[in-house]
Parts: sequence; C-alpha cells; structure tokens
Amino acid sequence: MINHLLVLPRLRIQNANAISSPMTWGFPAMSAFVGVQQVLERNLPDDIKLVFNEIGVVCHHIEPQVTEGGFIKAFHLTRNPVDKSGGTAAIVEEGRSHLEVTLLIGVESEGDDLSSAERRRAIAQTLFDQVQGMRIAGGSVMPAFDTQQRNRPELISFSATESERVKQWRRLKRRLLPGFALVLRDDLLAEHTATLKAQDESATTLDAWLDLSRLNHECLVEQVEDEKDGKEKEVVQWNVRRPYRGWLVPIPVGYGAISDQYDPGEVANARDPSVPFRFVESLYSIGEWVSPHRFQKPDDLMWFVENDLGRGIYRLQNDYANTVTQD
Amino acid sequence: MSEPQPPGSLRELIEQFIHQRFATKTEKMASDDPAYIKLQEQFVPQTWLADAARRVSQLQVVTHSLKAIHPDAKGTNLYVEPRSLEQGDLVGSHCLPDDFQGDVVGNAAALDVYKFLKLEWQERSLLELALENDDTLVGALSKEREEAQAWAQAFANIVEPKGTPSSHARGKQVYWLVNDDPTDNASYHLLAPLYATALTNPFHARLSEARFGEHAKAGRKARRDNAAFEGGYSDYLNLAVQKLGGTKPQNISQLNSERGGQNYLLASLPPNWISRDVTPPLRTESVLPRFGRRAPVRQLINDLVNWIKQNMKEDERRAQSGKAPRKTYQDRDLHDDLTAMLSDELLMFTYELHRLTPGWSKDSECRLVTAECYWLDPGRSELDSDFATARRRSDWHEDISHRVAGWLKNTLTKRMKISLDDPVHDFWAAQVELVLRNFRRQLEDLEDALRDDDESLQGELA
Repeated sequence: MINHLLVLPRLRIQNANAISSPMTWGFPAMSAFVGVQQVLERNLPDDIKLVFNEIGVVCHHIEPQVTEGGFIKAFHLTRNPVDKSGGTAAIVEEGRSHLEVTLLIGVESEGDDLSSAERRRAIAQTLFDQVQGMRIAGGSVMPAFDTQQRNRPELISFSATESERVKQWRRLKRRLLPGFALVLRDDLLAEHTATLKAQDESATTLDAWLDLSRLNHECLVEQVEDEKDGKEKEVVQWNVRRPYRGWLVPIPVGYGAISDQYDPGEVANARDPSVPFRFVESLYSIGEWVSPHRFQKPDDLMWFVENDLGRGIYRLQNDYANTVTQD
Repeated sequence: MSEPQPPGSLRELIEQFIHQRFATKTEKMASDDPAYIKLQEQFVPQTWLADAARRVSQLQVVTHSLKAIHPDAKGTNLYVEPRSLEQGDLVGSHCLPDDFQGDVVGNAAALDVYKFLKLEWQERSLLELALENDDTLVGALSKEREEAQAWAQAFANIVEPKGTPSSHARGKQVYWLVNDDPTDNASYHLLAPLYATALTNPFHARLSEARFGEHAKAGRKARRDNAAFEGGYSDYLNLAVQKLGGTKPQNISQLNSERGGQNYLLASLPPNWISRDVTPPLRTESVLPRFGRRAPVRQLINDLVNWIKQNMKEDERRAQSGKAPRKTYQDRDLHDDLTAMLSDELLMFTYELHRLTPGWSKDSECRLVTAECYWLDPGRSELDSDFATARRRSDWHEDISHRVAGWLKNTLTKRMKISLDDPVHDFWAAQVELVLRNFRRQLEDLEDALRDDDESLQGELA
C-alpha cells in the first residue's frame, strides 16, 4: 500500500524515443520511466531523505512524429551530419514523439518529516524543478504551459483512515483526467496462450501475443429464413474477433539473458568496467491502457523492477491484474 | 540437362553440391580458358572442402546479432539454442520452433560455405551433424580421419562467437537495477541487448503475410463487398516500418537482407482521444447522435448487440431442451468490459468538447438542452455567474445519466429491430435492461470524475 505519492503533473516531453523495442513503437518503454525514477533518487539533494519505490505514468497527449495516413507508418527522420570522409554516416532510424505525461512516484520517508504540509510542498517543488532539467525517454522536458492549481506538483500523504484515503485518491484521479495509464496484462497473455495451445499443441506465446495485437476480421455466414417469402437465404456478417476487451497493446517489459554473466571488466568495450555484464534480448508482454477514473487505488498503475535472476530475467512488474482478478 | 540422381550417400551429396557450384561458375567459359582450369583445380572436392573449412571462420551463424543495433558496431554476436532459454510466459526467442532459421553474419563472400552446411541429409542439416560430431559426416568428409575431424570441428565452430566477448560504443548497453538500492553503484548489471534476428524472421513473415498475402487480400476484398469468405484475415493497426542497414541491408546480416532490411514495429499507442477538429455542437438538441457516430462507439454497440444475441440463442437452446433460463450470463466479464469501454468513450468525448472555447454554448445557434450545456461547457461558469449558480443547483449529472442511458436503449432496440413494449419481446427487453443497468453503474464512475472536477474548481476560485 502506497503511503506517500509524489505527483509531477503535465510534463511536456519533446522528441522522446518512440521506438520502444525491436518489435514495438509508439509509447516509450516503461523502463525509461523507471530509469527516471532511479536517476531522480540518485540525485536527491542531501537534505531530502526519501526512498522511491515505484512509478506510474499517465499519458495525456501523444503526438508521434510519423507520416500521416496510410496503412504503414514511417518515421520522420532527422538530417544527420556527415562522417569524417564526407560520406553519409551509418544511421539507425529513430522514431520520435512528443508527449504530455503526469508521473506518479510512490515514496517513503527515510528520516524526512512528511507530516508537515509545508515540507511536502517544498519537496514536491524541488523535485518538480529537478525533473524539468532531465531527459525522459531520450526527450527534453519543456517548460510547463501554465501553473494552474491542477498543474502544480504535490506530495500526497495518504490518510490512515480508509474513507479519507478514498477521497484523496478520488481528488487526485480527477487531476489525472483526461489521460490513460499503462498497466500490465501478463495474465491475459498467459490465458490466451493456454487457449491457443488447447486448439493447437504447437502454439506459442508469440502466437498469442500477435493474436492480441491485431484486429481479426472474421466472416460468419448464417442461413436465415426470409420473412417475406419464407425461403432460406444466406446472411453474411463480418465481425471483429477480440478475445478480450480493453485497449490492449504489445509492450516490452524487460530483458532475458542470452549469455552467462561476465565479471566486471571481462567484456571488452563495456561502458563501465566495474559492474557485471550480460548479453540479453528484449522480452515482451501485453499491456492495457486504462483511464485513471477506473483505478481503485494508486498501486494499480505503479511499475517496479522485479527480476528473476535465477532464470536470467530482468523485468518490470505491475499489479493491476491482481486487483482485477480479485474483484 | 538430365535431372541429377538423388544422392545415395552423404559423400555423394557433398560432391554433387560442389560439382553444381562449379557448373554454375563455369557455365559461360570455354574449357581451355586458363580461368576454367584454375576453377577446376579449386573445385576438386578435397581442395574445396579444405578451403571451406578455412573460410568458415569468416562466418558466424547467430540467433542474436549486434549490427542490427547499429551498423557501425563491432563485437560479440551470439548463437543461443532457443530451447535453452527459460523466459516463461513472456514473448522471446524461446518461442521459436526446433527448426528455426539461424542468421549469418560475417564476410558475405563466404556465404557458399553456409549454403553447404545447410544441405540436408536424412532430414538433418550438415551443420546439425557437425555440431554433434556425427560419425557419418566425419567419414564422408575425408578418408583421413584426423583431417576430417578437424574440418567437422571447424564447421561446428560456425556457431561460436568470434574472439573474446566484447561490446561496442555504438552497441546498446543499459544499467539495470538488481538490488533494492538505486543509489548504490554496486546494485546494477550492465545489460547489452542484441537483436533477436532469428525471432524477427517468423515475426516478419507473419506480418508480411497479413499485409500482402493472397488470403489477406481476398479477405479484405470480401469484407468490402460484404461477401462470404472462408475464415478471416487480420490487420495490424498503426504498424510502423524501420529500415535496418539503409540501402545495404546485406551489411547487417543474411536474414536482414532477405527481409529487405524491413523491420516491423507493432504499435503500443494509447487510445487517441483527441480528434483534430472539434466543432461546437450547434443546431441540435443533443450531442448523443454525434457520439454514436464515432467509429469506436459504433464498434462497441455492435459488440453489445452481438453479446445480447448470443445470450438469446443460448437461452432459446435451453428452452427447446426444456431447461430453465440461466440466472447468470455467459461472459459476464465481457459485458462489463463493453459497458466500461463505452463509458470511457463518453469520458473522452466529454473532454474533447471541454477543449472548446468556454462559453460556446451561448451562441444563438446553440439549441442544446440545458443539462447538456452544463455537462459540456463547464468553463462558461467562470464567465457567467447566472449560469454558474443554475448549474450548481441543478441535478445535471443525473439528467445526463438518464439521457445517455435512454440513448443507448434506443440505439440497441433500433439495431435489433424490436419494440420493447411488445410482450413477445419481453426477453429482449430484459437483456437490454441488463446492459443498461450495468452501463448506469459504469456511468457513476464518470459522473464522479466530472463532479469532483467542479468541486475542486470551486475550491480554487474561493
């Protein structure tokens, strides 16, 4: 249960990386935001004594820099400088996107006096100023449009009383609208994989993932008796088959090891010779975009690191599915 | 030219391959050409094999490549048996079948050696046999046992990473937290993601098939013409393409070249709730018809109608076999989700109209009923104190909830071509009622969101 929540509202990010993995694009990977949380915590001013536990993101607006219309999107590319010899330097196509997001960070006091409203205001403002100078998902944070009440940073301490907590959360949710928060639906991916496996033993998670990531148009032909002349006639109906409702999207959730772990310094050209090194590949799951007014508690939209190092899995988690299935 | 006889032994298969390559190379040469004679020497099986065993070191068969991350990056590429990975319920290379296709990186001039290793003998490739140090293969390579062993070993080495493990400044390397404390430098691992090129291959094939395949094309046409079609087809919405390797995809890898350097990316975009041009809803009493014309709303209504019909059929079946009607409904969750999504759409629609210049509802052309003005033009309160007072005193939330539910009921009954007053259709009416009850429940969430907004606005003004 989250006791203190830092709200960094309506950050406008320009040119954020829109290619979130080798197989997905659109919204930056959640790991980019978890990275922001870690950097923010590492750079905390000495007098702020907090621990950061988890982060949630509400996207209010997104403007991908891609070609409009058409079935396939192509990225607007930047012009790049030439290399030493005057030739075109090798580039990797980059995708960019402008975003407006609110960040929610679950924090705990580690000696700070969070019972004081004034102290909470000061901390929220300091961290809000700090985030303005940071890079988020490779993009730059732009100055806020206005400083209305609803756009001010806040450090909320949730009440111990259930009814009061509910009220606080309701007030905050109102500030998060309109927008969508990404949550994790590993449960649907696993369930759908099992469904497909029951039909075809060789079906894999990849099959289920693709099936959930597309529109499946299916044609049904029914024999219907005509009301006028009583003759049988064929009625054709095209439907979209969606195994689950909700705005489901394919997302990267972390990395899986494809090599042993190397000791610090063992791998040539590592950017840091003081930490263990490992070759990995991206791992994917299914996410769902949910409007904040539907969340029963702030925990539902929060993401955190939860590795399974025994199996070489470095990944992020979110608990929304547990809440939904407990209902 | 006569068809070559199927090889009777592994050795024959090998010699046939070498001979065919020689034949292709010398097709247009005269047999007394000095180049021809030179090639003839090169393609003596033992010479060619020895050379191949030497040249194979210029190639690596991989499942994960580095150059796709950045064309200038040099460093470790890896061959990992998909079966050896334990990635559980997530999507990754472990999803590949046993007969997956490996990729090749390295000197393109040595690719003929890879073609050689892909030759199949009794449904297994020479590479597989080499990897298992298979006796038949060793026997077929050379009569000299020691030499044959060395060659088989050299061929098997094609999957081994070259040199010591290394990354590159142009490769991707990310810090990943492995302990609880992000402020401690010892809490991180450095992760170097490689490009899962073997996994991308079936992924690319499936998406290409959905885009360009004959079946998909025929399906799209059938749907446009509302014609019958066996099965269905799929669309990946907002699919993007990233080019790898620019005009020289072969520089990245063999498979990348086969894919034309095209890398598909699936979209993870949030719902796009802001339409470009929002116009004030003038000359109409209600915005609900406008709401109903939105594509996602039409789709949801469609789904709801289908849901009701399915339940109808199930109950008819039960009635025919003499069973009592069910108390609970099949796919209750689905129905909940549908109505929740419909209320989400209404919320997006509401916020879209809230972006209009406050006070738009004062226009003389505006004929909206008062409750809808209160709902959609809250900003007018700040300009018009009479409006503000009246709005605060009214039960507009309740009104809107009624109006929206009424609109949904009309839409559903119209779509199903029934009159709910007709006693014959009692059952339909009950089904629609069920949908409406649930929808009203979902709307409460939405009212809540809007009501809170007003309260806090007042708080700010005070």
